[in-house]
Amino acid sequence: MWRRSLSWDQLVLGMICVLTVVMVSYPVVSVVLRSISKDDIGSELTLQWLAALFESGRSRDALINTVIYAAGSSALAMVVGVGLAVVAVRTDMPGGRWIGILAVLPMLVPPFILVIGWIAIADPNAGFVNIIASLAMGSKTTLVNVNTMAGIVWITGLFLTPYVYLLVAAGLSNSDPAVEEAARVSGAGRLRLLATIILPLQRPALLAALLLVLIMSAGDFIIPATVGLKSRIYLLPSLIWQNSNSFPPRPGMAAAQGLLLVAFGLVCIYFQRRALSRGGRFTLLGGKGATTIPFRLGRMRYPLAVVAMVFALSSSVIPMLAVSSMAFMKYWAPYAFTPKNFTLDNFSYILFKYPQVWPSARHSLFLAVLGATVCVLLAIALAWYVIRLRGRLSRVVEYALVLPLGIPGIALGLGILGAWIAIPGGLYGTLWILLLAYVTAHIPIAMQFVGSALHGIHADLEDASRVSGHSWLATLRRIDIPLMRPALLGSWLLIYVVILREISLVILLYNPGTIVLSVGLMDVWSNGFYPELAVYSLLLMVLGLLPVALLWKFARFSAA
Amino acid sequence: MDKLVDLSVSGLSKVYGRQSEVKALDDFSLAFPAGQCTVLLGPSGCGKTTVLRSIAGLITPDEGRIMIGDTVAFDHARRTEVPPEERRLGMVFQSYALWPHMTVAENIAYPLLSSGLSKAEIAAKATAMLDWVGLGGIGGRYIHELSGGQQQRISLARAMVGKPRAILFDEPLSNLDARLRERMRMELLALRQKVPFTSIYVTHDQLEAMTLGDRVVVMRAGKIEQAGPPEDVYRRPRTRFAAEFVGIQNLLDGTVRGRTGQVVHVDTALGTLNARGWRDDRAAGARCTVAVRATLLTIEAGAKRADGAGHGRVVRSAFQGSSSIILVDVGGTEIVVECLEEGRQEPGATVAVKPAPNAIFALLDD
Repeated sequence: MWRRSLSWDQLVLGMICVLTVVMVSYPVVSVVLRSISKDDIGSELTLQWLAALFESGRSRDALINTVIYAAGSSALAMVVGVGLAVVAVRTDMPGGRWIGILAVLPMLVPPFILVIGWIAIADPNAGFVNIIASLAMGSKTTLVNVNTMAGIVWITGLFLTPYVYLLVAAGLSNSDPAVEEAARVSGAGRLRLLATIILPLQRPALLAALLLVLIMSAGDFIIPATVGLKSRIYLLPSLIWQNSNSFPPRPGMAAAQGLLLVAFGLVCIYFQRRALSRGGRFTLLGGKGATTIPFRLGRMRYPLAVVAMVFALSSSVIPMLAVSSMAFMKYWAPYAFTPKNFTLDNFSYILFKYPQVWPSARHSLFLAVLGATVCVLLAIALAWYVIRLRGRLSRVVEYALVLPLGIPGIALGLGILGAWIAIPGGLYGTLWILLLAYVTAHIPIAMQFVGSALHGIHADLEDASRVSGHSWLATLRRIDIPLMRPALLGSWLLIYVVILREISLVILLYNPGTIVLSVGLMDVWSNGFYPELAVYSLLLMVLGLLPVALLWKFARFSAA
Repeated sequence: MDKLVDLSVSGLSKVYGRQSEVKALDDFSLAFPAGQCTVLLGPSGCGKTTVLRSIAGLITPDEGRIMIGDTVAFDHARRTEVPPEERRLGMVFQSYALWPHMTVAENIAYPLLSSGLSKAEIAAKATAMLDWVGLGGIGGRYIHELSGGQQQRISLARAMVGKPRAILFDEPLSNLDARLRERMRMELLALRQKVPFTSIYVTHDQLEAMTLGDRVVVMRAGKIEQAGPPEDVYRRPRTRFAAEFVGIQNLLDGTVRGRTGQVVHVDTALGTLNARGWRDDRAAGARCTVAVRATLLTIEAGAKRADGAGHGRVVRSAFQGSSSIILVDVGGTEIVVECLEEGRQEPGATVAVKPAPNAIFALLDD
């Protein structure tokens, strides 16, 4: 009966921590090593790949394009996301609540929907907008063209908007009204208040959002591989893919390009951390039940509401409608929007005849359910270790978990490929390497949710349970997990949805036997038949939204 | 309660943080007699909560030994540490620590879940406990629907339902408003008189300490400053720190003139005062400090005292309802007087400060 109580849980959880740290940092090491090795890791060292990065014209162009693309789409996402957050949370704009819901919707929608939706809207020949413009002008007019740098920046920017919105809106609605009232009393007008108090106070959230969208856009594979290739705008992720998959493969070159993305991500994180530590972390949480006074927009109410609504709708509802209408077309061409062109064949083909769809759906669902579950369970163990036990490895775990956030998707996939292909035992080519990739990439999301939920549980609630005769494990089960349930469910759903639609991460890791739905989209894309593509992406969306629709009432979707 | 047991701690030390120089507990030893309420009284940071949480098993001390009854709960030397869930104690938290996802009845029944009783028995016990704290009929409600006073009673019911060997109170009343605090204090007293149980009560409120304690232990910087029955601590604090903590405002320098039995006569700015201390070794002429409670002084306007002492000028006076606080400058020493009568004095008025008839003040050790 007499024993030191903390030894074995410290030990088991400590081991879980070590394994997690290895899991998230090993891929980075593998990218670095591969990019300076002549052949496989272990062969002689060389700088030829890194030199080729800048010598090869294609590589250099891709680098420049990637910078423009990442900066442009991040800027758009920041402007739209922050703008929508401010008007939805802090003003008396009509329909503010709806704008809030619309703004986060793209998070649940596969980005492919946006791609195909915006092709349907803004294709130079057959896009709705251009058709309408042509009809109005009487001759062929191309008003908007998705196959340009501006086009892909637009799509990606809209796709990234909800991440900015969520982070900033959470901060804005939590801010202490007294701070603002003090500024008002000191004579600050509405705009000055916004510029000098409200937004500066949100600097941590703004920086976190900027970092997130920069990294997401730099490592995104979907746009570069679809519209990007079509419009011959080459980006680093598409070159990494080509260097890995074309014949002969050039894995060293791919690793060097991946290393560039890794370095970019880590530099972003470094600057974010530095900015945060200098400015201090303002955590101005409002008192209980304190409500901020909404800004009165006055005469600008309705015009601004229209603008906000257009942006909010552009990022989800409009492309979804476009895709849905496309799904019922026999063929997709200019002036195809007629009753004669209506068909259900696309659905019957994709759902019942297309051989790949159900195996890959099975894989996807298996991986999404298992991956989300593993992430959440792992996060509970890690959060308990870091927050409650304050074990020795806490700092290491916290730093290591930044890595997957900082490494763009395709580079992480490349790292995992290089890291585990070398390990005998045949992880490569199985579903398990995909599971490992999903867990590696998404454990930080789960950790943010679970960590903040656990922080929110007063330690007295656990102590009371311990004194009442229950062990720490029973306490975790009976007290902490029920109290964290909304956050656990929220993070589970979020990870489930993200895994289901993830392409960048796994494009280098799948093989024909382990294909998943999202990657299968690329095959359908290469057939070039848009109506089938539309059906396929709708299927992906429905599978993703199903559990969300069933469970969202019980979940909490913010980690703040 | 099962059987009343003694608790004791000996040689407890605790330092928070690795580099910290400050000891939360410094070789702290104390016995908690069975059936009694021992109050640990002190300002925040004095280590009182550390003692309580160490006994509960929520903190691991760096050194020392904790006994509950005749079992060792913690012994650093023998590397023995019983986890909190096996110590069979009850605890009432300052934050109540009631679980918001459970009903009132579920909260109370929680300590019984691992007792091996049937569900029906557990429910019956929880209901009985709820009746006993005067909240029968609300077992199905959730915590957020209840007032602070009700929550604290439920917290108490939960602490007692498992028939613990002792109950630990961690500032249980400090989250309540003043009137409720007063009522709960009386209720706790009534409860203790109804069923004796061993308890340890941590507070920074001297009123709670005096009302509830069989014994009061004043703590400072991880050590015991003074321990004894409430009356002793209140009337005869040993040190400046204890005197200030039990609310004595005037600490007067003096010289011993002589003694009559245990009463020492001390010459001070207020004349010769009768005082009692804990040391018997003071000779005539020795310097000493007398702690003078403001309520044991009176004021007379304009009056002259026969011995000429205690004459002064009113500096400030503050009416505070049931009494007035008057600050008097007596020969350069500011004396605080609290008088119950309508004795409002204008600043500048000449007055005489006198000790209350038969008052015996506290002579400090140092």
